[in-house]
Amino acid sequence: MSFYNGLLNLTNWAGNVIMPTLGALFIAFAVVQFARGYHHLYSTWAYGGLMCLMVSGLLRMFEKFTGQLGWNNPDLYWNSLLNMVDWFANVILPVYAAMHVTVGALKFGGLFEQQVHHQFNHTRHFLGAILCLMASGLLRLGEFFVAKGTAGVS
Amino acid sequence: MAPPQLITDFMRLMLLLAPSAAVICLVLAGLGLRQGSVPDALVGGNFAKWMFWAIVFLTLPQLISWFPSFGVPASLPGGGIGTGWMANLQSDLANFVQNFVLSRLATCFAAFFVLRAILDTVQGGHPLPSILGAMFLLAIQTTLNLIKGYNSGTSFATADVLDSLWNYVAGTLCPIAAGLAVIGGIWNFVSRRPVMPMIGATLGLLTVSSVWKLITAMM
Repeated sequence: MSFYNGLLNLTNWAGNVIMPTLGALFIAFAVVQFARGYHHLYSTWAYGGLMCLMVSGLLRMFEKFTGQLGWNNPDLYWNSLLNMVDWFANVILPVYAAMHVTVGALKFGGLFEQQVHHQFNHTRHFLGAILCLMASGLLRLGEFFVAKGTAGVS
Repeated sequence: MAPPQLITDFMRLMLLLAPSAAVICLVLAGLGLRQGSVPDALVGGNFAKWMFWAIVFLTLPQLISWFPSFGVPASLPGGGIGTGWMANLQSDLANFVQNFVLSRLATCFAAFFVLRAILDTVQGGHPLPSILGAMFLLAIQTTLNLIKGYNSGTSFATADVLDSLWNYVAGTLCPIAAGLAVIGGIWNFVSRRPVMPMIGATLGLLTVSSVWKLITAMM
């Protein structure tokens, strides 16, 4: 028994066993929040659920940020922050932009507004009911996205 | 003039009991890990204090080797204890520490810490400090061997052990702790608490050596 083994196994257990399980719970919470019309809350639970499936990937991401210079280079912390900002600005924001273009196009059409906007009560309830019945499917979808993303973005 | 046998044996007794004293210090360090927050305990707190004394006890002969340079002649007696009752006392005390304190008492403390982790969670607190305390108490023998392995045997042994422990924490334990920080970051995100400190901590835990180099470069 060593402290190193204990800490390593604790981290592995928490990251690879507990968090993915909690991820399913968070996605279920997201569906409930969506169905109740708390649109400002459900996205947090949904993103949280997705991140729970990516604990190892997120750690590898941070390791990539911090591994670009030598361990004894005084600029490593700055370089790590720079890599993170670079990744956020050049990888995440373009994806976010594409998402908003899609949402903008849907709103611009107007025709779809009444059918898809979750704030409308009748569609929200129906969509909420459908999502409640496919919580496992949502989790599998998240796992599929995570599994497909293991190669990284090139 | 040679010192009396009783004095020499008393010195041998004290030196031979130093590893046992180190074990007791490590148990107290494990208990200190749960007092206050983990950062407070680790640096400047009870944990740090008892770890320091454990290292001092394990490197006592090397520390005493400084005394002649202060003008105090302090030649350490070698060999075993000649006086029978004193040898028995040393053997009994070492057995007591090994078989009772280390094997049984520390394990019981660890079990109570696991219980406390659950009670902390019930109160809305964090279970991690208690879990780390339990792990430390269960791993005292390995930690003791680790510290003994870092003993360079020179008069700088105490500082060498501290150096090596810092390297071990920075190079081996901190990258693993970064994984826990990522989990903490996700938890904070979901529970709508600040995420940025966790992101900064994750980067920091992965670059401890570099931050040390940065600080020394600034000086």
